[in-house]
Amino acid sequence: MEGKYEFENKFRDQVLRCSSCGFCRAVCPVFGLTKRPALNARGKMLILKEVMDGNVELNDELVETLFQCTTCASCTNQCPSGVNPPEIIKQVRKDMVHSGTCHPAFEGMNRVLEEYSNIYGEDEPEDFERERNKKAEIVFFIGCVGSYREDEATLATLHILDHLQVDYTLIDEVCCSGALEDVGFNVNQRLSQKNVDLILATGAKTVITGCPYCSRTFNNKTEYSALKDAGLDIIHVSRFLKDFDFGVKTDQWVTYHDPCDLGRHCDIYDEPREIIRGIAPNFVEMRHNRADALCCGAGGGVRGAFPKNSIAMARRRLEEVEEIGAEVVLTECNSCVHNLKNAKLRAQKFKIYTTTQFLNQLLEAS
Amino acid sequence: MNKEIKQSLKDIVGDENFTDSLIDRIAYAKDASEHQHRPDAAVWPISTQQVSDIMKLANREKFPVVPRGAGTSLAGLAVPEEGGVILDLGRMDKIISINIEDRLAVVQPGVIYAELDRTLSPHGFFFPPDPASGSVCTLGGNVATNAGGIKGAKYGTTKDYVLALEVVLPDGRILHTGSRCMKSVSGYDLTKLFVGSEGTLGVITEITFKVNPKPPMTSTAMANFETLEDAGRAVSEIMHSGIIPSALEVVDQQSLMAINQNTDLNLPEVEALLVAETDGYTREETEFQMAKIVSIFEKNNATMTRQADSKEEAEALWTARKSAYGVVARINNNLLVEDLAVPMSKVPDMLRSISELAKKHHLAMPTVGHAGDGNLHPVVCFDGTDPDQVRRVEEASEELFKKVIELGGTLTGEHGIGLAKAHFMVLEHDETSMDVMRSMKKLFDPNNILNPGKMGLEV
Repeated sequence: MEGKYEFENKFRDQVLRCSSCGFCRAVCPVFGLTKRPALNARGKMLILKEVMDGNVELNDELVETLFQCTTCASCTNQCPSGVNPPEIIKQVRKDMVHSGTCHPAFEGMNRVLEEYSNIYGEDEPEDFERERNKKAEIVFFIGCVGSYREDEATLATLHILDHLQVDYTLIDEVCCSGALEDVGFNVNQRLSQKNVDLILATGAKTVITGCPYCSRTFNNKTEYSALKDAGLDIIHVSRFLKDFDFGVKTDQWVTYHDPCDLGRHCDIYDEPREIIRGIAPNFVEMRHNRADALCCGAGGGVRGAFPKNSIAMARRRLEEVEEIGAEVVLTECNSCVHNLKNAKLRAQKFKIYTTTQFLNQLLEAS
Repeated sequence: MNKEIKQSLKDIVGDENFTDSLIDRIAYAKDASEHQHRPDAAVWPISTQQVSDIMKLANREKFPVVPRGAGTSLAGLAVPEEGGVILDLGRMDKIISINIEDRLAVVQPGVIYAELDRTLSPHGFFFPPDPASGSVCTLGGNVATNAGGIKGAKYGTTKDYVLALEVVLPDGRILHTGSRCMKSVSGYDLTKLFVGSEGTLGVITEITFKVNPKPPMTSTAMANFETLEDAGRAVSEIMHSGIIPSALEVVDQQSLMAINQNTDLNLPEVEALLVAETDGYTREETEFQMAKIVSIFEKNNATMTRQADSKEEAEALWTARKSAYGVVARINNNLLVEDLAVPMSKVPDMLRSISELAKKHHLAMPTVGHAGDGNLHPVVCFDGTDPDQVRRVEEASEELFKKVIELGGTLTGEHGIGLAKAHFMVLEHDETSMDVMRSMKKLFDPNNILNPGKMGLEV
């Protein structure tokens, strides 16, 4: 039976497979904040069942729930029935856009990327004073947040790559545009083609990304398949750095926030911890960690579309830092750093960095 | 529901705690059962006074109010069968006090079970009745359903721990039952009346629990039995051996086959697998108990018995039992998690009947259960979009519960009656007991506004 919407054709079985047990309540960051069952995965699946039954249209009334999901995949991880709500929701968002329903923030994001080369619609990225587009073994791909918002973190990573005498180059990169797939649109081919061409032109064998999301996009989206076809290895910077001994240590109490894009989406939990334990023996876990880590609230377009809730989710994450009394929170995602920093209260004295940023500070102090 | 009523509700709880939007009405139409009906609106009260004001309004305007916790009911207890207002108590979620000196925990109804457990843990205490939905279910819901769990045989169910309640009656009056004392026989036991009343008599707004010291040590063992009868005899013998295990769980052959089809566990597909746990304060104590259990397993022809020597091994032994739900949840679109209890000696007869019913109706009915207290959960996996399968499931359910009653059992050990078993009530309860129950409902709720349509109370 051909469904009215594409999500029915792709995910009908999965939507029906949700047994409404409600176990996703325990982990959904949006539900944890709002205590509103319509916003967790069970609520969303019930709504989609009604759509499949023809009782409800995919219309503006559903935007508040279907566009309010950080795609953190905590629910997927918890679901006894094997349902993968973020994947379903991403398709539903495309169906909604197709039928003329969208959150204005998501529409704006697509429009910006049609016109500009980054999600912020800015003209001039930070220069970072490095030669670009040269022949090198490795391309370091920064990502939008690292280029336009968290440039200190990026600079620190570049210092470390210099310190390790890595043969790398930056490129005149543009947004990987993978995030468009999460908010109802498609990867922008103009942008993806430019990145692919620039990367291939360097003759590099490896792409190191500063952002775990970019690395997922390069590895998984067909628009970037030319990179893998050319034999390039695409890794996040945390994987690259885990094999080095930096010879520096701190006695500060340090904790680690697992970014959804690295943790639940790529199953990378140990490498970042290995690096941190190497430099900070006083490592302490937050109550929710690894596959159970709470989402920072920034993903899936939620930061743009529901900024108040996004920051409030980050606050809930930071409460867990206070609980364990850590002095430093490290993470591997600039977007997490950005949201967590925005949410930090003045009374909270701990610091928030990317691991490379913290490492670079220790190296500079030594 | 008219605009004036909606406005009055907003005046009570504030605009931010009221909703009549489509997404909320759909989400509140269902719990974890197969029943579904949309409410007209939902509110999130944040105080007892607000609940009281809502009930006064409902009683005056005569619209249904359905209290709701996490909506994990497997019997439709939280489904607003007649519309009206969902009273979501999830935002009344404070642990008011923990008083270890008096062994008390006082909580609001929206506190999650796991949250209370986490708070008690540093004190070396716990709240024993641990439903499988413990990570999400609310304590208000646990009291309203008299929830149980795997520790039932040794530690009882929720009712054994509720000392006092604050309850808003359907007319809006606020009732205080019980006391903070470990013992009290002062007046009728109004507290127990509300435990398990499924939100039909009053809205629970504060609970005083007795809590238990948590024995720090456990021993775990698992045994396979070629026949249900051997497993049944082992269970029965254990339970009158003088040892009371902290858990004694059974997994049947259909569950084992389903687990093997969907995992790499390679479990022997015997008629029954039993997992036992003993707890205590010293290793010697738990192992003394376990040695006796293992000898009973062996005496009753267990084909293989494994004992855990470490925490990791204990977890491995629990894997089969704990993975059962996740595995059967993937077999088909719809899940009917049944709940019944029989006298312990009848567990093998019941398991045999379930297996025969499944064959007769061409259904998958893998069964797990708490053998130590005779509480079994056949899980019917089916495709709700196929009318023929739905019919067979209904017929099988009917026969199942007739058999339960025939064996001297009861319709539900821990999930409640709700909508799912309302029509079976008369199988178990005679005219006099139904009449008394209906009179009680009328006494508390003469206008039938609180969770109407549940428990077969309407004639």
